[in-house]
Amino acid sequence: MSTLSNLSMTRRQFLGTAAAGAGVFVLGISLPGCAKVDEQGEGVINAFIGIDENGVVTFQNPFIEMGQGTYTSIPAIMAEELDADMAMLKVVQAPHGPEYRIMFNNTTRFTGGSFSVRSSYMTMRKAGATARAMLIKAAADTWRVPPGECTTEPGVVIHRESGKKLTYGELAPLAAKLNIPADVPLKDHASFRLIGKPVKRTDNRVKATGEAEFGIDIKVDGLLYAAVKQSPVFGGSVQSYDQDAVLKMPGVVAVEEIPNGVAVIADQYWRAKKALEQLPVTFDEGDNADFSSKSYLEKLKAALNESGVRVENVGDADKALSEAAKTIEAVYHAPFLAHQTMEPMNCTALVTKDHCKVWAPNQGADFVAKVAAEITGLKLDTIEVITPFLGGGFGRRFIMDYTAQAVTLAKKHPGRPIKVIWTREEDTQHDHYRPMTAAKYRAGFDAQGNPLAIQITTAGEGPSGRLNPEFLEDPAIDESIFEGGPHQPYGIPNKRAELVNVPVKPLPIGYWRSVGNSQNAFFKESFIDEMSHAVSADPVEFRRNLLTEQPRFKKVLDTAAGMANWKSEVWQDENGIKHAMGVALHESFGSIVAQVAEVALDDGDIRVVRVWCAVDCGFAVNPAIVKMQMESGIVFGLSAAWSEEITLEKGRVMQSNFHDYPILRPDQMPDVEVEIINSGEPLGGIGEPGTPPIAPAVCNALFKLTGQRVRSLPLSQYTF
Amino acid sequence: MTTLMINGKQYELDAEDDMPLLWAIRDIAGLTGTKFGCGIGMCGACSIHLDGELVRSCMIPFGAAKDKAITTIEGLATEEGLHPLQQAWIDKDVSQCGYCQPGQIMAAAALLRENPNPSEDEIRTKMTNYCRCGTYLQIFEAVKQAAQFHGEQS
Repeated sequence: MSTLSNLSMTRRQFLGTAAAGAGVFVLGISLPGCAKVDEQGEGVINAFIGIDENGVVTFQNPFIEMGQGTYTSIPAIMAEELDADMAMLKVVQAPHGPEYRIMFNNTTRFTGGSFSVRSSYMTMRKAGATARAMLIKAAADTWRVPPGECTTEPGVVIHRESGKKLTYGELAPLAAKLNIPADVPLKDHASFRLIGKPVKRTDNRVKATGEAEFGIDIKVDGLLYAAVKQSPVFGGSVQSYDQDAVLKMPGVVAVEEIPNGVAVIADQYWRAKKALEQLPVTFDEGDNADFSSKSYLEKLKAALNESGVRVENVGDADKALSEAAKTIEAVYHAPFLAHQTMEPMNCTALVTKDHCKVWAPNQGADFVAKVAAEITGLKLDTIEVITPFLGGGFGRRFIMDYTAQAVTLAKKHPGRPIKVIWTREEDTQHDHYRPMTAAKYRAGFDAQGNPLAIQITTAGEGPSGRLNPEFLEDPAIDESIFEGGPHQPYGIPNKRAELVNVPVKPLPIGYWRSVGNSQNAFFKESFIDEMSHAVSADPVEFRRNLLTEQPRFKKVLDTAAGMANWKSEVWQDENGIKHAMGVALHESFGSIVAQVAEVALDDGDIRVVRVWCAVDCGFAVNPAIVKMQMESGIVFGLSAAWSEEITLEKGRVMQSNFHDYPILRPDQMPDVEVEIINSGEPLGGIGEPGTPPIAPAVCNALFKLTGQRVRSLPLSQYTF
Repeated sequence: MTTLMINGKQYELDAEDDMPLLWAIRDIAGLTGTKFGCGIGMCGACSIHLDGELVRSCMIPFGAAKDKAITTIEGLATEEGLHPLQQAWIDKDVSQCGYCQPGQIMAAAALLRENPNPSEDEIRTKMTNYCRCGTYLQIFEAVKQAAQFHGEQS
């Protein structure tokens, strides 16, 4: 059994444990390819791997665990090359700081974009291999033999000839004093024991016993709790409140203003929440009290008739469309969506004169540190970030609004740790939403029914431009709103795509699992389906014919269709209930996914019976986790397609909890089969690519069943 | 001061009677395996057993739990080891983020006590707790494994 603690250590603590002579020795592994010089010009050693006298390998993971399996896949990659068993590992979260920014040429570190495994695969292998080489060298020096005569078994260095053995725990103190070798050779794929294998999750035990510690569970001596109420209208602010009305309530410590609202601090969370409910507070609604999602949708639809920024241009789509024997056109839209992590937003902070400690569920420890430093005025190296397990992330925990609240309150009460917990209602009404998007698709065919041209106009505002404008090469082209629409693999000779940016300020928008692909795959794969029906072609066959130049896509499509034993026609089961299959194919985050959904319609009630999913992610580092992430992505996408929608009236979000923002229930769960194609292409992501194809696959099946084309989501708004 | 009996142990708690049992268990008794998810009894993350009955602890006023036996996820294992459901959850690698899983396991434990050998249909309709990561199929499989184990033991 592997031991696991999910709490972070600072680098100083990590190295300090060794210096204190507690029997822990740290291999200061400078990760080849990411040796880095920090701002002070001082050489930095990345301390990812520590080994104690018992041979326990402490691995400082730069990626957080929010369900997607990084506390298993990432250490397994390292352990493969180190030659360690998973049971020897203790996985902890790395602190913030430049030495852990191992992504994109050592410029950043976050957990998202389905980047964890693919961005660190070689780095982690080299880290493990380098550590192993140092352990071998330490043993060889002890035995006075050449290192080449030594080998390893998990946790042990062996001298082949004499059979002498020393454990990693015994060797670690010696190895830690050695120079770090460069260019250590890596293992052959054929000898992998962990990579490519369904390694069990390192966090499965603590998550079955209740011991796993999430942010909301953090226990600190003298802890106070805060309940918050934020302006119901985005951009609004607190006008007045009467703290005297609640200060005498049991346990209440203080009433404080936070950036866009008010907080009650008490000795128990329930007392804080109750007092907050009784606190008279009025908000200045600001300039946005007339915002409604309905009117924004009208603006988006109107924008589809404008000419926008060109984002794709192949051939001459205008000419081809004007000459086409047949054209079709469709307008689609998709609603605002909330993340609804099961663990509501929360954060705990403790501020003293020269130190700030923050326990924050986050998708990037550096983001937490930055916000804490800004608010406290303290230097980054005095900020300590503790990252617990996340009760879901899905893109929500990039945004540090809840962290800012906890640090703001803790700064006002130095020396007192304060835990901010949002109610589900605050969480639903103060999310950073998947943006509402509309798109117009047009296609033209020749007289034989061959597609000649496709033209796409997308309208909306993308989260990248709002949150990370530095990501955009051209500020006018924010891919995060149209990605997944244009640049299709289908061999259509003339293509044009345009973007009309329609700002949705002040509404907070953000990254929602699979980002722009979540809505654009629905538009694109529904429209491809419309095209197939327009020329009376089978939807799978129609796509296949457009993929003659794209063997990788074709194979994924064929695999899913084969798994499903694809049926073009509607059929009835033994109870007379109609069934049909729908298909969708989509590439995102470097992985190609095809899904076939079997949908039944029973007296108007939709049942998604089964989903067959084929995925080509290059190579599955952990096939069990890849399958689980496909299943997870399907549920996330299906849930949204079925019943999720955030609407706004008078500047306010109208939904508040699971009764009016329903997420997929267990009795709605389809059976899912997943097949992995190891194509040997570059590694693709896995956390998100399962989400985009499911909505169009289901809607394409519904079209066969009902003749009704679903051009906006969710399905719960329709009567079938 | 009110005395609550949680997992066979007495806790002296200072709280108002209307405080949901969930918060008494978490913040005062310090047993944080029981989770807050929605506060309206819908998601099931706060599922516990009250005198052996499955309840959503966010909906039970603290005062109503006096003189009743409370079992939380921390009280499910015995001296002989983990509950068969916990073992099944580990064997099947059910958890992803893991936040809802203590509640899922408590719901499954109540289901198996009521019916040690549930049908696939019963599992799918009686397990009503939400999971945002979408581990439902693994949950169903783990319940089946634990039920089988039960069958072999008896």
